[in-house]
Amino acid sequence: MSPSSLIAAIIPVFSGLLGVALSNLPISLTAGAVPAPLLAFMAVYFWSLVRPDLMPPAGVFLIGLTQDVLAGGPPGLWTASFLAAYALLDRQREAFASLAGVGALLGFALVAFFSCATAYVIACVYFYRAPPMMPLLLQLAATVLCYILVLPLLNGIQHRLIGPLRSEF
Amino acid sequence: MANGTWRIARRGGTQVPLVIAAILSVVLIVGGKTHLLPIERIRTGITDRTAPFLRTLNKPVAAVARWGGGIGHLLDVYSENQRLRQESAQLLQWRNVALALQDRLKHYQLLLKAAPDLSYTTVTARVIARSSQPFLETIVLDVGRHQGVRPGQAVVDARGLLGRIYAVGERTSWVILLNDLSSRVPVAIRPGNVQAILAGTSASAPNLEALPQNHGLKDGAQVVTSGDGGLLPAGLPVGVAVLRGSEAKVSLYADPLAVDDVRIVDFASPQEQMPKPSDGELPRPTTLAPSSPQALDEVAAPRRAISVVTGPTSRLTQSHPPGPSNAVSVRRTPTSPTISSEAHPRQPVATEPPPQDADDQ
Repeated sequence: MSPSSLIAAIIPVFSGLLGVALSNLPISLTAGAVPAPLLAFMAVYFWSLVRPDLMPPAGVFLIGLTQDVLAGGPPGLWTASFLAAYALLDRQREAFASLAGVGALLGFALVAFFSCATAYVIACVYFYRAPPMMPLLLQLAATVLCYILVLPLLNGIQHRLIGPLRSEF
Repeated sequence: MANGTWRIARRGGTQVPLVIAAILSVVLIVGGKTHLLPIERIRTGITDRTAPFLRTLNKPVAAVARWGGGIGHLLDVYSENQRLRQESAQLLQWRNVALALQDRLKHYQLLLKAAPDLSYTTVTARVIARSSQPFLETIVLDVGRHQGVRPGQAVVDARGLLGRIYAVGERTSWVILLNDLSSRVPVAIRPGNVQAILAGTSASAPNLEALPQNHGLKDGAQVVTSGDGGLLPAGLPVGVAVLRGSEAKVSLYADPLAVDDVRIVDFASPQEQMPKPSDGELPRPTTLAPSSPQALDEVAAPRRAISVVTGPTSRLTQSHPPGPSNAVSVRRTPTSPTISSEAHPRQPVATEPPPQDADDQ
């Protein structure tokens, strides 16, 4: 494997890890009123659709684990949630990959909602009580809105650094 | 490659790793819940290494927040100044009253030979990170094991209790705030000294749970730490009770979003020490047949007395023989209402009052 192809191979997982690091910076533009968007989930969603060969389950596991460790919440919460979303995308890849425009955004919102719902169920079991939904819904909304800004960036990385062709799966 | 072919090939390629990853994530959840995995150690290790970066990053963020907040205050700086002057004058008067009352309280404590408050010291720390995640209300401080911080210690700001230390690294520590879902703190509600548990709900106002029936709780009642369990000192201000229908909540004094500097209370309630038993109090090997009548007399002889007050005019005296015999002789003697316990003398307690803030001087 050439160095350039090696770099191209690690970019998807690396972008997820970068998203984790940025999400967990002690900066809040809303003074803590709105939780940080799930930037790592955007990378998981995008690369799972566009280049699933470069975003294997092990990569998703690593990204989720890093999110759990840095966020400080229950261990395994986001790992399991990201993997649940990945499993959904794995089964319905064609349906989600064929979406465009607003449809693509709604598709992302649907999978993000599925991931957040999984996290909520795990949190209920973990804490033996139902936590308030509002912070999670705010995080979901922030994630979907931020995806509009991040999507062109991810598209640019894919076209310039990894290659324009979709994976052969 | 035809679509149908790659789809089958892809499914076959990801199913097994996906199942393995899912199993591992379940192991993570269970391991985290049972504290079998060293997740906290990994977290504190990472924050130890990134602390300088977090500290540097936090400076401009705090400056921007201060600058942004300062613009609004510029408009009413004069009226704010007037209000603060008036408040300062009132507080000076209250300070004198408080000092006089403190002296009087000390005098009464001396007269009553009351056990004084337990002493504790504090470690000052700076907040270098705040969580902005759902299901999580934590902050990260720039002090750790190196500065003597230990899990379970109380963290307070200038207004009241903020939370507890739950993970400690070498130079950083994580604080679980009072409104975190995992937070449970024993509290007392004044007046009435009603005992309850303050349970975090991820909302800004945590719940009061385990309240006794007919507690008679009223809006605005003061909530302080009860000190039960010996982890937190008693009497730390927490907030005021707020009744919302059948629910009792607490409006917290401390504001984790605004706080920059906190104090970690180094407190450990001294464990009650039982008096060491004397040789005579230790059980002796029982003998079925005493070797001599002299031995029988020795067993029946009284060695110590416990006196218990039963009323203003009588004292109940129990005489315990030291041996295996359980014979107790009881006699009533007229006496004054005093308490004496020769068998369990009271242990001396630290006599220094809590240190005062520099601001209070």
